[in-house]
Amino acid sequence: MDNILTFKNVNAGYGRVQILNDLSFEVKKGDVYGVIGPNGCGKTTMFNALIGLIIPTQGEITFNGQNVTKMPANARCQLGIGRTYQVPRPFEGMSVFENVLVAAVHGAKCSEHEGREVALEALKLTSLYEKREIRAGELTLLDRKRMEIARALGTKPQLLLLDEVAAGLTEAEVQDVMKMVADLKAANYSIVWIEHVIQTMVESTDVLMCMAEGHNLLVGEPREVMNSKLVEEVYLGVEEDE
Amino acid sequence: MDNKPRGTVKVFGGTPLIIICVIAIALLAILPMTGVITSNGQRYLLKIFLYCALGIAWNLMSGYTGMTSLGQQSFIGIAGYALCVVTTTYHLGYAMGFFVGAVIAGVISLGLAVILFRMRGMYFAIATWVVAEALKTWFTSWSYVNMGGGMSVTVSPYPRTGSIYYMALVLVIAAFIVVYFLLKSKIGLGLTAMRDDADAASSVGVNIFKSKLLCFVICAVITAVAGAIFYLNKGTIYPSAGFDIGWTVSIVFIVIIGGIGTMLGPILGAFIYVILEETLSHYPGWSNIILGIIAILVILFLPDGIIGTLQKKLNFEIFSQRRFSESKAKKKIAAKSE
Repeated sequence: MDNILTFKNVNAGYGRVQILNDLSFEVKKGDVYGVIGPNGCGKTTMFNALIGLIIPTQGEITFNGQNVTKMPANARCQLGIGRTYQVPRPFEGMSVFENVLVAAVHGAKCSEHEGREVALEALKLTSLYEKREIRAGELTLLDRKRMEIARALGTKPQLLLLDEVAAGLTEAEVQDVMKMVADLKAANYSIVWIEHVIQTMVESTDVLMCMAEGHNLLVGEPREVMNSKLVEEVYLGVEEDE
Repeated sequence: MDNKPRGTVKVFGGTPLIIICVIAIALLAILPMTGVITSNGQRYLLKIFLYCALGIAWNLMSGYTGMTSLGQQSFIGIAGYALCVVTTTYHLGYAMGFFVGAVIAGVISLGLAVILFRMRGMYFAIATWVVAEALKTWFTSWSYVNMGGGMSVTVSPYPRTGSIYYMALVLVIAAFIVVYFLLKSKIGLGLTAMRDDADAASSVGVNIFKSKLLCFVICAVITAVAGAIFYLNKGTIYPSAGFDIGWTVSIVFIVIIGGIGTMLGPILGAFIYVILEETLSHYPGWSNIILGIIAILVILFLPDGIIGTLQKKLNFEIFSQRRFSESKAKKKIAAKSE
């Protein structure tokens, strides 16, 4: 299998509100797959369907050749899908180290002893090692975002889902994040990355998908996608209306 | 050593804590033999122990998995009736009664879990209460348990308050140890994560259903044994008393006052509750109003409960389940080499 992830005609939403609308796409192993699209087009919903927080009403999601459409979230995580949340969701009462340890022990099925090493490794990769004993609720935004990544890494994923990890960061911090992603790609992780910072996406991704109204508008080489008329209409068309 | 970054939690534990616990338990164990306390005092302590156990169990379930059950009286009633049926109808000993009650409560909680776990929050709370009310109605019209007329415990020789006191003390210690080591385990690590954010916990691999199920069943069994000991002491049970929502109201009061999600909270809460209740019983009519006002004040000003607020303010934890990145052995070696 060349593809680590496929979405095939997926419909999904919350209650009666359907957000994903016949969404299909494929991610190759080892790629950094960028996802852009205007607000409300279903990017985060796509992640929720992918990790199992919502179950699609139609269609099929395949991970590493295995159908995971209806699998519960914790089982998918153990298969190797690790995600970060757009708005960080730390376990606030636990220390930074414990946050990542939970991921290693439950997501990667380590013993607590092995988990300790995995967690410390993830904390070093995300520059949180010095802050490991602080209560997670007291971290700054940048550190919370870092911890989201550390926690996802703690589950020893093959596929890493990054949900706007660069949003709200300064220029210099964005450079840090881009370097981190490049390191992760070099370490053989496949990555799906949602982001609004266009420059970042053009420079750091191998393939770029633009979503609109819950489906796949355009997929291709990042620069081509960014320059396409269709994408411009989707993004700028909204502004013209206002 | 005080250059630790802000937010680092200090832990009080290890040998000194164990010594304090052993002394406290020894004192409580010797107390009835010394004659220092009256039999009334023994009765108070017995009641405190039972509420401690109930609080510890409910705290595990609600404080860590977020399942706010208002139906704990189901298991108390079931265990009380099991004790009566086993001793009166089948003429067996009360130990058998305890055992049967605990097993039935465990099995029923397993069955209920399948249905109730589809609900969350408020809906779960109400559903558990409805189950208890349904049981009350059923027992009131079930001739096997003498309908609304109630049943009594028949054992001879009947154990004295002194012996029942020790049963309750053992139960509290056992409940505390079970919960403490559960939280210390891998499962407990996941439970602590669930306490903070269940969705995020499941997306890092924590099996929410299994963890909830385990806590629900453990809680039911501890609650059942506490109920059985209570009715062994009391001697008679009626459906209206055994399945009374008042049980859960007391438990919730205890856990919230003491500090939800802390190990010591339910214990402190049980002492406060029983002392208040016994003192206020001289002023009938006022007692519930005063308990209510206290609960409201605590929720407004100490939302984490007494122990919870203290721990946050002073940034330390007692009976902590915290994991540190360096093991104690390593720290000692590092300290020596310096």
